[in-house]
Amino acid sequence: MKLLFNYLIFPGFLFSLFWGGLGWWVERKLTARFQYRVGPPWYQNFIDILKLFFKEQVIPKDSFKPLFIASPIISFSSVLLVILFITQALFLKESIFQADLLVVFYLLITPSLFTILGGFSSANPLASCGAAREVKLMLSYEFIFVTSLIVVLIKSKGNLSLEGIISLQKSFPFLGSISGFIAFILGLIWLQAKMGLVPFDVSEAEQEIMAGIYIEYGGPLLGFFKLTRALFYFILPLFLILLFWADNLGWHLIYKYLIIILLISVIKNTNPRLRADDIVKFFWFLLFPLGLLAIILAILGF
Amino acid sequence: MRSLVIFDGLSKFIGVFVVLFTVLIFIYSLAFIKRRRFYYYFWFILTFLASLGVVFSSNFVLILIFWGFLGLSLFSLINLDRTSQQADTAKKTFIIVGGSDAFLLLGFLILTYLSGSIDFSGNKLEINSLLSLFSFLFIGIGCFAKAGLMPFHTWIPDVSQHAPLPVVAYLPASIDKLLGIYLLARVIKDVFILNGLAKVILIFLGGFTVISAVMMALIQHNIRRLLGFHAISQVGYMVLGLGCGSILGLAGGLFHMLNNALYKACLFLTAGNVEEKTGSSELEDLGGLAKFMPLTFLGGLISALSISGIPPLNGFVSKWIVYQALIDLVGNSSGSLKIVGSLGLVFALVGSGLTLASFLKFLGGVFLGKSKKKVKEGNFFLLFPVLVLAGFCVIFGIFFRETVLNIFLKPYLGEIKIYGLWEASLATLLIIFGLVLGLLIFFIFSLKKKFRQDNLFVGGEEEEAQPLVSDFYTSFRKMRFLAPVYDKACQGFFDIYQVLKKITFSFANFLKYLHNGVLPTYLVWCLLGVLGLFLAFFRF
Repeated sequence: MKLLFNYLIFPGFLFSLFWGGLGWWVERKLTARFQYRVGPPWYQNFIDILKLFFKEQVIPKDSFKPLFIASPIISFSSVLLVILFITQALFLKESIFQADLLVVFYLLITPSLFTILGGFSSANPLASCGAAREVKLMLSYEFIFVTSLIVVLIKSKGNLSLEGIISLQKSFPFLGSISGFIAFILGLIWLQAKMGLVPFDVSEAEQEIMAGIYIEYGGPLLGFFKLTRALFYFILPLFLILLFWADNLGWHLIYKYLIIILLISVIKNTNPRLRADDIVKFFWFLLFPLGLLAIILAILGF
Repeated sequence: MRSLVIFDGLSKFIGVFVVLFTVLIFIYSLAFIKRRRFYYYFWFILTFLASLGVVFSSNFVLILIFWGFLGLSLFSLINLDRTSQQADTAKKTFIIVGGSDAFLLLGFLILTYLSGSIDFSGNKLEINSLLSLFSFLFIGIGCFAKAGLMPFHTWIPDVSQHAPLPVVAYLPASIDKLLGIYLLARVIKDVFILNGLAKVILIFLGGFTVISAVMMALIQHNIRRLLGFHAISQVGYMVLGLGCGSILGLAGGLFHMLNNALYKACLFLTAGNVEEKTGSSELEDLGGLAKFMPLTFLGGLISALSISGIPPLNGFVSKWIVYQALIDLVGNSSGSLKIVGSLGLVFALVGSGLTLASFLKFLGGVFLGKSKKKVKEGNFFLLFPVLVLAGFCVIFGIFFRETVLNIFLKPYLGEIKIYGLWEASLATLLIIFGLVLGLLIFFIFSLKKKFRQDNLFVGGEEEEAQPLVSDFYTSFRKMRFLAPVYDKACQGFFDIYQVLKKITFSFANFLKYLHNGVLPTYLVWCLLGVLGLFLAFFRF
């Protein structure tokens, strides 16, 4: 019963949706200010998502319907599970149901995976194009995130549990060392790419391929994708904080979270969209060696 | 009199699954094999008996004999339809596998010389001299060639492409993996005590195999060949696990071996269903089959997600245990082992991402997207093995502690201390809960209205302009630093068979050059030979 409360209300679904929606709003507001606009009111994201659930559901004729319908819902429910693991470590005194770092890493891949499968099953050529780009993007950003995860693992001396990683950073966050700092920067770029924000938004690219993977989605199913996105706005920055910057938690989380949102918003608004192959080159041949360097520095103790 | 038979936990574990795979693939073959049935089932049963022989004999000589039988039956099974491609492939396979048997023999000989026993019950041998290292590596080569570790892998993609699919699912995908890794695990646990250098070699080979085989798999256009390269890259994970030398690593490696056999056999059988119904295994000809073959798609989806390591399926669990063993190794070692260990970890994690990418290509290209032609779902014999294997993937993923670890691995390895945290059954329950909740919301909100079905929106373009899924990763193929490597790989530059062939031919050409057919030349050679003999005899 307590687990269900944690899963659905605090710190699970409702709490994180609220926080994520607000975080998304902060990002939108910042973007608006960068562009000399006023920006939406704070409840904009919530009514946007709610509206989608009252719209008509259109399903393309050629699609493979079971997967087309299931994909958004599976990605939503796997994010909920990750949220349970991460928030228990961050917000609760003692957690009843834990998972380690590797599990969280793999569970975070699942939403992207099912987004891609959903795009494929719609049978739309533009969605297929978007899916191809999303896969390439995924290969790029997950690679560098692997290196920064391993830096964390070396620093935590093989301690895999999320609570262990937090408690090791009580006195001195991993961010403070050279290798930790590089890994944090890589993590920030991972965050940017994972959320599909400019400059890494090739897979959606409204102006070229009309939202790519999401092109055939509308109504409640798109609503689920938007919910997943709002939850991503909540959990990904917090996960980054947990890994590298967990010296003070509690209300300190708020300003740390806002700083990360500010950073990704600045990156988003000062860069043009990159091409898919340029993204892969940038990640594989520039950032990945940097990540390996960070690993070697971490082994040497810096 | 020493016992010739070994009947411990490991042998039983492997034996059970050898029987399982034989039964399932036998069922599948009933529907799939239509010509030369007698020949096929003769070699099929011989393979089965010989593999049981390898698993349950404790004597090196017996193992070598059965091992040789397996090479022969592999040769014969590949050559089922007697096409010229199959003949070439069978020859290549026989040369690589048979050649590695010679190394295995040499390794056992050295081992017997060093330890004085010809079975597994002898004392453990510490790898401290060059001779013992060579003994270990030679035995290793036998196992690597059987399982398909780089650089002894090149027969697997060819076999996957040309041999009949039940044969591929039976031998390279499941039985050969079981046996190769069985022997490797056996010598690591019961015969040798690994030192740092041996571990470094194993981990290096494992990590290298994971990443390079999966990079090759990305650019393939043929689903059989794509699956073949994955059959290689997964071996890398097993060797990574075994190379750690710890109980956890052995558990991870053996578990991954089992999982790989399950999902890889399932994937090959899926490909078999597709080929049976459409007559093609080229990605260009396929697409949108999920609508017509939903059960085959279900099997393919589960096994593809499983091989990519998506929780809570079994592929994730075994990879996770291997990672833990590696992290443990990195934490408790120093020097080169620490660096190689962390690189192995990077490669293993990155490789699993690449695996996912290439299976998205497989799923998207074969089953999803726009359908090109209408086909029918396969019959019971074609579907039953696929679904059973997929079912095992799910069960071993969710209940891994209760089933595999407790029943099969614990009797041999003892208590396995997993320090990672993952309650698979509870997590699955929550995922299903979320899924049901989501579906409920979805249906409540769309209760009154019917779903409207409409044509695709492509912005007024012709719908024929479908991007080919098979060209997904062509941009990788052409990338600046990777293109030369890919070019070389496609020319067979890294193929040990081609390399040996070149060396042999150049040697033969030298002999050809000597044999010019002119009598005086031969006379000169005879004279020189006699002179040499005289010198040798009369010098003393």
